[in-house]
Formats: sequence, C-alpha cells, structure tokens
Amino acid sequence: MSIRKIIDWAVQDQKTDMKGKIVGDFHQLQDNAGNWVWACDVEIGGGETTNLRSVPIAANNLDVIYAEQGKGVSMSRIGSAKWTITGLSKVITNTVHTMLVSFKDDIWEITGSVMVGNVIRPITYGELGTLIAGSGYGVLPYGAQAKFDYYGNLIDLMLEN
Amino acid sequence: MRQISATLQAVLDSRRRRPSFKVYAWDPATVTISQIASSPSNIHSSIPMPMDLTPYVSEVAWTDKQFSFTMVDPRNLFHPDTGAYRNYLGDQAILRLVEGDETLPESDWITTSTGQVHGQVGWKKARHSGQITAKITAFGRAETQAFKRRKITSQQYSVGTDLGIALYDICQSFLGMTPAEMRIPFVLGRQFRHRTNQLSQVSPWEGISSLLEVVCYLPYFDGEGKLTYVNKSLQRALDRVLADYVPCVELEVPENTQDGINKIKVIFLDASLSRVDGKNQKLGTASVTTGFFSRKETLHCWWSDDRKQRASGTNMQILKSCNAGLISFCTEGYSQIDDYHGDVLIRVSIWVAILATVMLLGYLILAIIPDFWVGMFFGITISFGRLIQALFMVGFLVIMMSLGSGQYEIWGTPYDYAYLEKMSIAMEDGLDYWLENEKEIKNDFIGDHDQADTIAVTELVWEKSLSKPRRIIIEDDPSLEVGDIIGIPDGRKILIAGLSKKIRRGEVLSLTVEGCKVMTP
Repeated sequence: MSIRKIIDWAVQDQKTDMKGKIVGDFHQLQDNAGNWVWACDVEIGGGETTNLRSVPIAANNLDVIYAEQGKGVSMSRIGSAKWTITGLSKVITNTVHTMLVSFKDDIWEITGSVMVGNVIRPITYGELGTLIAGSGYGVLPYGAQAKFDYYGNLIDLMLEN
Repeated sequence: MRQISATLQAVLDSRRRRPSFKVYAWDPATVTISQIASSPSNIHSSIPMPMDLTPYVSEVAWTDKQFSFTMVDPRNLFHPDTGAYRNYLGDQAILRLVEGDETLPESDWITTSTGQVHGQVGWKKARHSGQITAKITAFGRAETQAFKRRKITSQQYSVGTDLGIALYDICQSFLGMTPAEMRIPFVLGRQFRHRTNQLSQVSPWEGISSLLEVVCYLPYFDGEGKLTYVNKSLQRALDRVLADYVPCVELEVPENTQDGINKIKVIFLDASLSRVDGKNQKLGTASVTTGFFSRKETLHCWWSDDRKQRASGTNMQILKSCNAGLISFCTEGYSQIDDYHGDVLIRVSIWVAILATVMLLGYLILAIIPDFWVGMFFGITISFGRLIQALFMVGFLVIMMSLGSGQYEIWGTPYDYAYLEKMSIAMEDGLDYWLENEKEIKNDFIGDHDQADTIAVTELVWEKSLSKPRRIIIEDDPSLEVGDIIGIPDGRKILIAGLSKKIRRGEVLSLTVEGCKVMTP
C-alpha cells in the first residue's frame, strides 16, 4: 500500500461537504426532551439508493426551510456520520451510468451496463388517470409528485400525509 | 516513440554499438529552459554555447524523470562558492544528456534528458585522496514544484472552444512555454460544453492534466523537455516488437502487494441546465371589490415578492367569488402572462352599466309623469309616476347592491434550473460491495455520458494493467519512451511506465523497463 494511496483515502474520509436533493417535506426532528429542529430527507445520488433520513438544517438558513422537494442542497459534516443542510445548491445529483467490465487474463470486456437516476416531478395530467392501474381519475390529486427511474418507470408516489 | 535518425536506427539494428554520451550545461542567467527546449539543437545560434561537462562526468544514472552523475573536478571549476563555472551547476542550471554512437556525428544523437538543478549540488573534497567530487542531479521539467503548487485562474473560454486551444493558452500564459515546446496536438477533438469555462484556483499542472484527462491523455515532459502525453487507451498498435529474446537480459514479474483499483467513478457536470420542479403550491393571492362602476379589473399576481420566481401550469382557485351576491354580474378569469406572473381579470358585464344608466335616466325622466287625480271635488292623488320611478330606483339599487368582493389564489408548479451532476462508473463485474476499491475522477470539461463512459472504462483498464507490473531488461533502445507498448515474442504486450539505465563509458547499456501487462478488449 503506497503512502500516497493511504493519504488519498484519508483525504476522502475527511470529506466535509456533499450535495443532495430534498426528497420529502420538512418535518420536525425532536430530541428526547421534545426540542426540535427542522429536518428533511435527502437523496445523495451517486448510485446510493439509501436516502439520508432527517437531516437537520443549520441555523439561519430560512431559505432552505422554504425550499421544496427536488431542490438541490449542500450539506456539511457535523460528526463522523452526521450531516447538516447548510444551504441551497445549484447542482443536483442526477444519472449514473454503471458499466460492468470483466477481466480474463489479458482480455477485458464490457459485460453489462445500467443507467440509474431518479427523477422527481409532478405527475402529468395523463398519468393521473393511468399511473394506478384501473383507478382512473380522482385517486391521485392534481399536482401530486412521483419518483421515476431513468427509463420513466414509476418508483414511488410522493403524496403528502 | 522517440524519433531517431535512420543512421542511428541502423546502428542499433546492427547491434554493433559504441555508445557515447555528452552532458551539456547552461548558465540559467543567460538562457531559460524554455529557450533550450525550443531550440532545434543543442548547438544553435538561438541559444548560448553550452558548457560541455562530459570530461568531468562519470556514473550517469538515467531515468525518464531525471538523471544524475558524479563529477570529478580537480581544478575546482564548479565549486559552489569559488568555482569559475559555478553558475553552470547552480540552482536552476539547465543540463542535458545527449546519447548516441561514436561512429555517428552528433547531429544524429538524441537528447534523452533535459532537466534543471534544484537547490544546490553536493560538493566534496576528500582529505586522504585529495579528490574533489560532486554529486549532481538534474530533475526533469515535470518535477518543477512551481507547476504544481502555484494556483492560477485562467481567462474565460467560450462554448465550442477546443480544449487544445485552452491547453496551449495555459502553457504559454502560466508555464512560459512556446508552441515549439509542445508535442500535444493543438486540436484535441473535444470542445467546452459549458457557456463559460475557466480554470480557477488550480495549479497549472492540474489544469493541464484535467484538460488532457478528457481525451485519456497523461501529460509528461520528454527527453528534450517538451510537453507531450501518454495515451491511456491501450487499444493501439505496438511501438516496438521484440522478434526474439536475444535483446532481453531479464524478464521479471515483480511482486505487487497493493490492492488494485477495481472501480472508477467519473463525475461531471452536464452543460445543460435542467428544470427542477417544485411541488404544486399556492404562488400568490389576489382580492378585489368591483361592481357597476367598473368595466374591468386586472390584478397582477407575481409568484414571489422579488418577482424572480418562475412557475408553470398555473391556475386560479376562487375562494370567494364576486358573483356571490344577488346577481351574477361579472366573469372572473385568469391567464398566465409570463413565467413570473399572471393576471386575474374581472370583467363586469356590459348590461350592468347600461342597466344602471337606463335606470337612473329613467328615474329622472319619469319624474315628469304627472300624478293622476281620482275624484270630482275631493279625492286622492295616485302617484303613478312615482310608482314607475320607484321601480327604476329598485332596479338601480339592485345593481348597486351587486357590488362584489372576490378572493383568489393562484396555484402552480414553481421551478428553477440547476446543473445536473452526472456520473459514469466502470467497475469489475461480480465485485461485492465491500470489496470495491474505487478511484474518483471529477472533471467539468467532460460533456456527456459517452465521453465519461470512455474515460471510466479506459481508466479502469489502465489501473487494472498497472496492477500487473512487469519488468524487462533489454539492450538499450533510445527510441523507447514512457507510454510505448512493447510486444514480446510470446505475444504478450508490455506498457512502459518507467525507464532507467546506468551509463558507463565503454559499456553496452542495458535499459530497465518498468511496465505492466497490457489488457486488450
């Protein structure tokens, strides 16, 4: 293991900022005493399927609290595995194209590829009546949002409680 | 592959060599390394005459990054404090190693290293022997710390500009190089995709590296001190084929104890801004009071106080209609004017104003209708006119009472535009999540997924090849350079990652090739 590589890893581990995308409504994150702060779930993309849950918003960031689902946010590390939303970001994570390469002796070959990348957008008028099979219009409210994969397949409905 | 003359190649092929070398030095106060590298030869009118150190030099150790040698200086000519020629080995002194064959004129020789002294050379006088020696190392241009530490901000390059143009510009502006020192194509075939492009607060070397990264090139300075590149794509023709093992002295598979990179992430910023929709929500409110006195009310409704929020799919929801009174006297409409605002339009029906006017005029005119008197001498007066007037007054009052107050909300989907950060990943098939050893490449000059895919796969194959080191010791071949691919007789291919040799007078040189096995598709 080279010193350079170990240093690179150490630098990477010390990554103190990250970008993400709001994927839900803001909610109150309470401690045991009942004190609370605003928080929301954040999708960090980059091929990670697990969202960060209840990421608190740093103080004096009212703009963030009024941001909506789908907005890009920047986060800072506050602990070894804790993050806080510190502001809005002009960059949001998007598609990831993964290619699988197999190596046999001196030969390499691309054996598969997949494009991932969720898109959260309002459901179109046409989709309102067809997204839930057999339900027709009226089940989904106009303006409801949903999460779709890169190929346009529905992943999840994002309905307000 | 270094270009060598046909006569030198003939001597190499004959394997009857009388290797020879020369070491030249220039005083940095009289010439720059850029001028030396730009000069077509070592003895040229455009540069000062070099000091020929060859008579003093022994034990030359050469690598592709530097060369060092021992100097015997019995007359103290190069003593760092008192030597008459000390400037030729002072800090930043320019040194060149030229190799060739005694049987050939020097014009057929080749310059295999161009470097500079960094700091101060070591100088020693031994009391017991009286010998005065100096140890000198000339570092290649890529080892210049100023290239890697100083932060620069480049000028702006517009969309569509070829990356090669920016590369040349940066080399000239921040590295003081001339086009004659560059062996990189002026046109790289990749263009800037973003509207504005600047390198900001990066070192010049990082800037050059990131520009070349887009075409899978690795920058390096060749033996003549000229900037060139290694093509990381291994799908290319062999530069040298060893027909048999005769020139091979050793063929070794060295131990490799490092975990190889098995996953490459290439992250780039899409040049196109993408629309990001927010939730469907209330964007604004409007309220109005209107009636017969008005023909039309237009309420401008902006989606934000600063009038900068954009929205689409807007529609109006009526919380309280103006027509909620006695009669329906108006129409309430809405239309989106632009991305930033819409108008709520209340149109009072024309008959309202006409009716009010008619009623009022009628009321006035009907005042002249006389009353009817019933009876002969005594009787009552029937105020017929006032009755008709009262009807007109009632109609007028109804219209007046039809004043309405309306309250409206405008709903829609606010949106903004954001850059999309995209990623291409190339990873080994069948790799478990916990075994991933990844390398991340961030480059904003990559335009789309196709380019990023190529870089990711090329880098993965490159890393995979580097994890299979090979070492060959062969008879010296000065035409070989870092990045070349050698074919060995059993069909395997070796990429040259490093070269080294020791040069002694009267000895046939052996070239040590540090390389790796080439993986091909």
